[in-house]
Amino acid sequence: MESEGTESPSRSPAPVAEVFNSIRERTIAENSMVVLLQGLQGEVTTVDLRNESTARGRVVNVDAFMNVRLEDVLYRDGRGKLTKLQDLFITGRNVRYVHIPDHVDILKTMHSQLAKIHRVRNFASHGGGRKEYAKKTK
Amino acid sequence: MVLLKNLRPPTEGVRHEQAETSVVLDGQKLGCGTLYVAETRLSWFDGSGMGFSLEYPTIGLHAISRDVSAYPQEHLYVMVNGKLAGENGAAMPEGAADEEDNSSNSGGDDDDDDDDLGAITEIRFVPSDKVALEPMFSAMCECQALHPDPEDDDSDNDFEGEEYDVEEAEHGHADIPTFYTCDEGLSTLTQEGQATLERLEGMLAHSVAQQYHMAGVRTEEANPEFEDGMEVDAAAMEAGQFEDADVEHW
Repeated sequence: MESEGTESPSRSPAPVAEVFNSIRERTIAENSMVVLLQGLQGEVTTVDLRNESTARGRVVNVDAFMNVRLEDVLYRDGRGKLTKLQDLFITGRNVRYVHIPDHVDILKTMHSQLAKIHRVRNFASHGGGRKEYAKKTK
Repeated sequence: MVLLKNLRPPTEGVRHEQAETSVVLDGQKLGCGTLYVAETRLSWFDGSGMGFSLEYPTIGLHAISRDVSAYPQEHLYVMVNGKLAGENGAAMPEGAADEEDNSSNSGGDDDDDDDDLGAITEIRFVPSDKVALEPMFSAMCECQALHPDPEDDDSDNDFEGEEYDVEEAEHGHADIPTFYTCDEGLSTLTQEGQATLERLEGMLAHSVAQQYHMAGVRTEEANPEFEDGMEVDAAAMEAGQFEDADVEHW
Protein backbone atom coordinates (compact mmCIF):
# COMPACT_ATOMS: atom_id res chain seq x y z
CA MET A 1 0.00 0.00 0.00
CA GLU A 2 1.48 3.31 -1.00
CA SER A 3 0.80 6.36 1.05
CA GLU A 4 1.61 9.97 0.51
CA GLY A 5 4.46 11.42 2.42
CA THR A 6 5.93 8.29 3.95
CA GLU A 7 8.77 6.23 2.64
CA SER A 8 8.36 2.54 3.22
CA PRO A 9 11.42 0.36 3.30
CA SER A 10 12.12 -1.61 0.17
CA ARG A 11 10.07 -4.77 0.28
CA SER A 12 12.32 -6.91 -1.85
CA PRO A 13 15.26 -8.57 -0.16
CA ALA A 14 17.70 -7.23 -2.74
CA PRO A 15 19.60 -4.14 -1.61
CA VAL A 16 19.17 -2.46 -4.99
CA ALA A 17 15.91 -0.52 -5.20
CA GLU A 18 15.28 -0.15 -8.88
CA VAL A 19 11.69 0.90 -8.49
CA PHE A 20 10.82 3.79 -6.26
CA ASN A 21 9.32 3.24 -2.89
CA SER A 22 6.70 5.90 -2.91
CA ILE A 23 4.60 8.12 -5.11
CA ARG A 24 6.35 11.09 -3.60
CA GLU A 25 9.79 9.83 -4.60
CA ARG A 26 8.61 9.11 -8.11
CA THR A 27 7.20 12.60 -8.48
CA ILE A 28 10.30 14.25 -7.10
CA ALA A 29 12.57 12.19 -9.31
CA GLU A 30 10.50 12.76 -12.41
CA ASN A 31 10.73 16.50 -11.95
CA SER A 32 14.44 16.77 -11.36
CA MET A 33 17.77 15.75 -12.77
CA VAL A 34 18.15 13.07 -10.12
CA VAL A 35 16.68 10.66 -12.68
CA LEU A 36 19.99 10.89 -14.47
CA LEU A 37 21.85 9.81 -11.35
CA GLN A 38 19.43 6.98 -10.83
CA GLY A 39 20.27 5.73 -14.27
CA LEU A 40 23.89 5.36 -13.20
CA GLN A 41 23.23 2.23 -11.18
CA GLY A 42 26.02 -0.22 -11.77
CA GLU A 43 28.40 2.40 -13.12
CA VAL A 44 31.66 3.27 -11.43
CA THR A 45 31.89 6.95 -10.84
CA THR A 46 33.27 9.66 -8.58
CA VAL A 47 31.18 11.70 -6.19
CA ASP A 48 32.57 14.99 -4.93
CA LEU A 49 31.32 15.89 -1.50
CA ARG A 50 30.75 19.36 -0.20
CA ASN A 51 33.54 18.97 2.31
CA GLU A 52 36.14 18.59 -0.43
CA SER A 53 36.43 14.84 -0.10
CA THR A 54 35.68 12.46 -2.94
CA ALA A 55 34.42 8.94 -3.20
CA ARG A 56 34.90 6.68 -6.20
CA GLY A 57 32.96 3.46 -6.43
CA ARG A 58 30.12 1.56 -8.09
CA VAL A 59 26.69 3.13 -7.80
CA VAL A 60 24.34 0.85 -5.92
CA ASN A 61 21.43 3.23 -5.64
CA VAL A 62 20.48 6.89 -5.77
CA ASP A 63 17.16 7.88 -4.28
CA ALA A 64 14.97 10.87 -5.01
CA PHE A 65 16.73 12.88 -2.30
CA MET A 66 20.08 12.29 -3.98
CA ASN A 67 21.31 10.00 -1.22
CA VAL A 68 23.99 8.00 -2.99
CA ARG A 69 24.98 4.48 -2.11
CA LEU A 70 28.28 3.21 -3.46
CA GLU A 71 30.17 -0.05 -3.08
CA ASP A 72 33.87 -0.92 -3.35
CA VAL A 73 34.79 2.65 -2.69
CA LEU A 74 38.05 4.52 -2.66
CA TYR A 75 37.45 7.47 -0.38
CA ARG A 76 39.79 10.41 -0.38
CA ASP A 77 39.35 12.89 2.43
CA GLY A 78 39.98 16.64 2.20
CA ARG A 79 43.66 16.12 2.88
CA GLY A 80 44.12 13.48 0.26
CA LYS A 81 44.25 10.50 2.59
CA LEU A 82 42.88 7.40 0.91
CA THR A 83 40.67 4.82 2.55
CA LYS A 84 38.95 1.80 1.11
CA LEU A 85 35.35 1.34 2.10
CA GLN A 86 33.16 -1.63 1.30
CA ASP A 87 29.84 0.19 1.34
CA LEU A 88 29.27 3.92 1.52
CA PHE A 89 26.10 5.93 1.91
CA ILE A 90 26.37 9.66 1.22
CA THR A 91 23.56 11.89 2.41
CA GLY A 92 22.13 13.83 -0.52
CA ARG A 93 22.74 17.14 1.14
CA ASN A 94 26.47 16.44 1.19
CA VAL A 95 26.81 15.79 -2.51
CA ARG A 96 28.39 18.52 -4.57
CA TYR A 97 29.07 16.77 -7.86
CA VAL A 98 28.47 13.38 -9.33
CA HIS A 99 30.72 12.64 -12.26
CA ILE A 100 28.93 11.13 -15.22
CA PRO A 101 31.11 8.54 -16.95
CA ASP A 102 32.02 9.51 -20.49
CA HIS A 103 30.39 6.47 -22.03
CA VAL A 104 27.01 7.23 -20.54
CA ASP A 105 24.48 8.70 -22.96
CA ILE A 106 22.80 11.28 -20.78
CA LEU A 107 19.59 11.84 -22.70
CA LYS A 108 19.04 8.16 -23.29
CA THR A 109 19.58 7.39 -19.62
CA MET A 110 17.10 10.02 -18.56
CA HIS A 111 14.50 8.83 -21.06
CA SER A 112 14.77 5.23 -19.95
CA GLN A 113 14.47 6.20 -16.28
CA LEU A 114 11.39 8.28 -17.00
CA ALA A 115 9.94 5.37 -18.93
CA LYS A 116 10.40 3.16 -15.90
CA ILE A 117 8.55 5.66 -13.75
CA HIS A 118 5.69 5.85 -16.23
CA ARG A 119 5.48 2.10 -16.51
CA VAL A 120 5.09 1.75 -12.78
CA ARG A 121 2.56 4.52 -12.62
CA ASN A 122 0.49 3.27 -15.53
CA PHE A 123 0.41 -0.26 -14.21
CA ALA A 124 -1.54 0.96 -11.20
CA SER A 125 -4.00 3.15 -13.05
CA HIS A 126 -4.80 0.58 -15.71
CA GLY A 127 -5.19 -2.23 -13.26
CA GLY A 128 -7.61 -0.24 -11.16
CA GLY A 129 -9.54 1.61 -13.84
CA ARG A 130 -10.22 -1.30 -16.12
CA LYS A 131 -12.98 -2.97 -14.23
CA GLU A 132 -13.99 -5.08 -17.18
CA TYR A 133 -10.84 -7.06 -16.71
CA ALA A 134 -11.57 -7.62 -13.06
CA LYS A 135 -14.18 -10.24 -13.54
CA LYS A 136 -12.17 -13.19 -12.43
CA THR A 137 -9.85 -13.51 -9.50
CA LYS A 138 -7.24 -16.20 -9.19
CA MET B 1 33.71 15.26 27.00
CA VAL B 2 30.67 14.42 24.99
CA LEU B 3 29.06 11.91 27.26
CA LEU B 4 25.72 12.76 28.77
CA LYS B 5 23.96 11.42 31.73
CA ASN B 6 20.34 10.51 32.18
CA LEU B 7 19.57 9.72 28.63
CA ARG B 8 17.43 6.72 27.85
CA PRO B 9 17.85 4.49 24.86
CA PRO B 10 15.05 4.86 22.32
CA THR B 11 12.22 2.39 22.68
CA GLU B 12 10.30 2.95 19.47
CA GLY B 13 11.27 2.61 15.86
CA VAL B 14 14.55 0.86 16.60
CA ARG B 15 15.58 -0.67 13.30
CA HIS B 16 18.74 -2.22 14.66
CA GLU B 17 20.35 -2.67 18.03
CA GLN B 18 23.92 -3.80 18.39
CA ALA B 19 25.40 -4.64 21.74
CA GLU B 20 29.10 -4.96 22.45
CA THR B 21 29.91 -2.03 20.23
CA SER B 22 32.81 0.22 21.01
CA VAL B 23 32.92 3.80 19.94
CA VAL B 24 35.87 5.89 18.82
CA LEU B 25 35.05 9.56 18.49
CA ASP B 26 37.59 11.71 16.64
CA GLY B 27 40.20 9.19 17.55
CA GLN B 28 39.23 8.93 21.20
CA LYS B 29 37.93 5.65 22.56
CA LEU B 30 34.74 6.03 24.56
CA GLY B 31 34.35 2.45 25.65
CA CYS B 32 31.96 -0.36 24.92
CA GLY B 33 28.19 -0.15 24.81
CA THR B 34 25.11 -0.60 22.66
CA LEU B 35 24.32 1.14 19.40
CA TYR B 36 20.69 1.93 18.65
CA VAL B 37 19.75 2.68 15.06
CA ALA B 38 16.30 4.19 15.50
CA GLU B 39 14.12 6.01 13.03
CA THR B 40 14.34 9.26 14.97
CA ARG B 41 18.01 9.32 15.82
CA LEU B 42 21.16 7.29 16.09
CA SER B 43 22.36 6.73 19.63
CA TRP B 44 24.85 4.84 21.70
CA PHE B 45 24.91 4.08 25.43
CA ASP B 46 27.57 2.50 27.52
CA GLY B 47 25.17 0.75 29.84
CA SER B 48 25.68 3.00 32.82
CA GLY B 49 23.35 5.69 31.54
CA MET B 50 25.95 7.63 29.62
CA GLY B 51 25.85 8.06 25.92
CA PHE B 52 25.16 10.35 23.02
CA SER B 53 22.78 10.66 20.14
CA LEU B 54 23.03 11.94 16.61
CA GLU B 55 20.35 13.47 14.46
CA TYR B 56 20.26 12.04 10.95
CA PRO B 57 20.27 15.41 9.16
CA THR B 58 23.68 16.05 10.70
CA ILE B 59 25.15 12.81 9.39
CA GLY B 60 27.07 13.40 6.18
CA LEU B 61 27.88 9.85 5.32
CA HIS B 62 28.30 6.41 6.78
CA ALA B 63 30.25 3.45 5.53
CA ILE B 64 31.54 -0.03 6.25
CA SER B 65 35.28 -0.03 6.55
CA ARG B 66 37.01 -3.35 6.16
CA ASP B 67 40.39 -1.87 5.30
CA VAL B 68 42.52 -2.87 8.27
CA SER B 69 45.46 -0.94 6.94
CA ALA B 70 43.47 2.27 7.43
CA TYR B 71 42.06 1.29 10.81
CA PRO B 72 42.91 -1.97 12.55
CA GLN B 73 39.34 -3.10 13.13
CA GLU B 74 36.42 -3.51 10.78
CA HIS B 75 33.87 -0.91 11.76
CA LEU B 76 31.00 1.34 10.79
CA TYR B 77 32.33 4.79 9.99
CA VAL B 78 30.04 7.77 10.45
CA MET B 79 30.92 11.31 9.47
CA VAL B 80 28.94 14.03 11.21
CA ASN B 81 28.78 17.58 9.94
CA GLY B 82 29.93 19.84 12.69
CA LYS B 83 31.33 19.13 16.09
CA LEU B 84 29.44 17.46 18.90
CA ALA B 85 28.65 20.00 21.58
CA GLY B 86 29.40 19.21 25.19
CA GLU B 87 26.06 20.35 26.60
CA ASN B 88 23.48 18.20 24.97
CA GLY B 89 25.35 15.85 22.71
CA ALA B 90 23.67 17.11 19.55
CA ALA B 91 25.91 18.04 16.67
CA MET B 92 26.41 21.73 16.24
CA PRO B 93 25.37 23.17 12.89
CA GLU B 94 28.12 23.81 10.43
CA GLY B 95 27.08 27.38 9.86
CA ALA B 96 28.55 29.06 6.81
CA ALA B 97 30.01 25.86 5.49
CA ASP B 98 26.52 24.69 4.60
CA GLU B 99 26.17 27.26 1.88
CA GLU B 100 27.62 27.20 -1.60
CA ASP B 101 30.39 29.46 -0.44
CA ASN B 102 32.68 27.02 1.26
CA SER B 103 35.11 29.44 2.77
CA SER B 104 36.11 27.89 6.04
CA ASN B 105 34.13 28.87 9.05
CA SER B 106 36.35 27.22 11.63
CA GLY B 107 39.50 29.06 10.79
CA GLY B 108 40.68 26.31 8.47
CA ASP B 109 42.99 25.09 11.18
CA ASP B 110 44.55 21.79 10.40
CA ASP B 111 44.99 21.34 14.12
CA ASP B 112 41.31 21.46 14.91
CA ASP B 113 39.62 19.94 11.93
CA ASP B 114 40.18 16.86 9.93
CA ASP B 115 39.15 18.75 6.84
CA ASP B 116 40.25 22.22 5.96
CA LEU B 117 36.72 23.34 5.20
CA GLY B 118 33.90 22.69 7.62
CA ALA B 119 34.22 21.01 10.96
CA ILE B 120 33.36 17.34 11.01
CA THR B 121 33.28 14.64 13.59
CA GLU B 122 34.45 11.15 12.77
CA ILE B 123 32.84 8.35 14.70
CA ARG B 124 33.71 4.70 14.42
CA PHE B 125 31.33 2.08 15.76
CA VAL B 126 33.29 -1.11 16.27
CA PRO B 127 31.03 -4.09 16.95
CA SER B 128 32.54 -7.22 18.37
CA ASP B 129 30.44 -9.15 15.83
CA LYS B 130 31.73 -8.08 12.42
CA VAL B 131 28.90 -9.85 10.65
CA ALA B 132 26.61 -7.22 12.12
CA LEU B 133 28.24 -4.46 10.08
CA GLU B 134 25.96 -5.01 7.09
CA PRO B 135 22.65 -4.88 8.98
CA MET B 136 23.95 -1.88 10.92
CA PHE B 137 24.82 -0.15 7.67
CA SER B 138 21.51 -1.04 6.02
CA ALA B 139 19.49 0.11 9.00
CA MET B 140 21.29 3.44 8.90
CA CYS B 141 20.62 3.78 5.16
CA GLU B 142 16.91 3.23 5.76
CA CYS B 143 16.75 5.69 8.62
CA GLN B 144 18.78 8.27 6.76
CA ALA B 145 16.32 8.08 3.88
CA LEU B 146 13.55 9.00 6.31
CA HIS B 147 15.18 12.36 6.89
CA PRO B 148 15.54 14.13 3.57
CA ASP B 149 16.98 17.58 3.53
CA PRO B 150 14.06 19.92 4.27
CA GLU B 151 15.69 22.84 2.49
CA ASP B 152 16.10 20.98 -0.71
CA ASP B 153 12.57 20.03 -1.62
CA ASP B 154 10.99 22.32 -4.15
CA SER B 155 8.65 19.79 -5.68
CA ASP B 156 7.34 18.36 -2.47
CA ASN B 157 3.82 16.96 -2.61
CA ASP B 158 3.49 18.11 -6.15
CA PHE B 159 1.41 15.24 -7.42
CA GLU B 160 -0.09 15.24 -10.85
CA GLY B 161 -3.09 13.40 -9.52
CA GLU B 162 -2.93 10.55 -11.97
CA GLU B 163 -1.77 7.99 -9.50
CA TYR B 164 -4.07 6.44 -6.99
CA ASP B 165 -4.23 3.44 -4.84
CA VAL B 166 -5.52 0.45 -6.71
CA GLU B 167 -6.74 -1.21 -3.56
CA GLU B 168 -8.69 1.81 -2.47
CA ALA B 169 -10.29 2.00 -5.88
CA GLU B 170 -11.51 -1.54 -5.41
CA HIS B 171 -13.23 -0.37 -2.23
CA GLY B 172 -11.85 -2.48 0.47
CA HIS B 173 -10.87 -5.51 -1.53
CA ALA B 174 -7.40 -4.98 -0.20
CA ASP B 175 -6.97 -8.60 0.65
CA ILE B 176 -7.48 -9.99 -2.79
CA PRO B 177 -4.03 -11.16 -3.71
CA THR B 178 -4.72 -10.80 -7.39
CA PHE B 179 -4.27 -7.06 -7.32
CA TYR B 180 -1.07 -5.36 -6.35
CA THR B 181 0.01 -1.77 -6.33
CA CYS B 182 2.83 -0.60 -8.50
CA ASP B 183 6.14 -1.93 -7.27
CA GLU B 184 4.77 -5.02 -5.59
CA GLY B 185 2.90 -5.92 -8.70
CA LEU B 186 5.80 -5.62 -11.04
CA SER B 187 8.02 -7.71 -8.86
CA THR B 188 5.54 -10.54 -8.54
CA LEU B 189 4.72 -10.85 -12.20
CA THR B 190 5.52 -14.18 -13.68
CA GLN B 191 6.83 -14.44 -17.20
CA GLU B 192 3.34 -15.08 -18.44
CA GLY B 193 2.03 -12.24 -16.34
CA GLN B 194 4.60 -9.93 -17.85
CA ALA B 195 3.52 -10.99 -21.33
CA THR B 196 -0.08 -10.33 -20.44
CA LEU B 197 0.86 -6.93 -19.08
CA GLU B 198 2.67 -6.06 -22.26
CA ARG B 199 -0.23 -7.28 -24.36
CA LEU B 200 -2.72 -5.24 -22.38
CA GLU B 201 -0.58 -2.15 -22.39
CA GLY B 202 -0.16 -2.46 -26.09
CA MET B 203 -3.86 -2.81 -26.54
CA LEU B 204 -4.61 0.15 -24.35
CA ALA B 205 -2.06 2.28 -26.11
CA HIS B 206 -4.00 1.85 -29.34
CA SER B 207 -7.35 2.02 -27.67
CA VAL B 208 -9.43 3.69 -30.33
CA ALA B 209 -8.21 1.66 -33.26
CA GLN B 210 -8.36 -1.63 -31.43
CA GLN B 211 -11.44 -1.45 -29.32
CA TYR B 212 -12.60 -4.40 -31.34
CA HIS B 213 -9.78 -6.45 -29.92
CA MET B 214 -10.41 -5.31 -26.40
CA ALA B 215 -13.82 -6.89 -26.53
CA GLY B 216 -12.13 -10.23 -26.19
CA VAL B 217 -11.53 -11.21 -29.74
CA ARG B 218 -8.37 -13.21 -30.01
CA THR B 219 -5.83 -12.07 -32.50
CA GLU B 220 -3.67 -14.46 -34.50
CA GLU B 221 -0.83 -14.11 -32.01
CA ALA B 222 -2.96 -15.04 -29.04
CA ASN B 223 -1.48 -17.97 -27.24
CA PRO B 224 -3.49 -20.35 -25.09
CA GLU B 225 -0.65 -20.18 -22.56
CA PHE B 226 -1.62 -16.65 -21.77
CA GLU B 227 -5.12 -17.43 -20.72
CA ASP B 228 -5.08 -16.29 -17.15
CA GLY B 229 -8.67 -15.39 -16.59
CA MET B 230 -8.28 -11.84 -17.75
CA GLU B 231 -10.25 -12.10 -20.96
CA VAL B 232 -13.71 -10.70 -21.23
CA ASP B 233 -16.74 -13.00 -21.61
CA ALA B 234 -17.29 -14.27 -25.10
CA ALA B 235 -20.85 -13.03 -24.97
CA ALA B 236 -19.63 -9.48 -24.85
CA MET B 237 -17.84 -9.75 -28.15
CA GLU B 238 -19.01 -6.85 -30.16
CA ALA B 239 -17.11 -4.19 -31.93
CA GLY B 240 -17.40 -0.87 -30.25
CA GLN B 241 -19.03 -2.34 -27.18
CA PHE B 242 -16.96 -0.17 -24.90
CA GLU B 243 -17.31 3.05 -26.75
CA ASP B 244 -19.44 4.56 -24.04
CA ALA B 245 -17.54 3.00 -21.19
CA ASP B 246 -16.52 5.32 -18.42
CA VAL B 247 -12.83 4.78 -18.75
CA GLU B 248 -9.99 6.95 -19.92
CA HIS B 249 -8.58 6.55 -23.35
CA TRP B 250 -5.63 8.47 -24.58
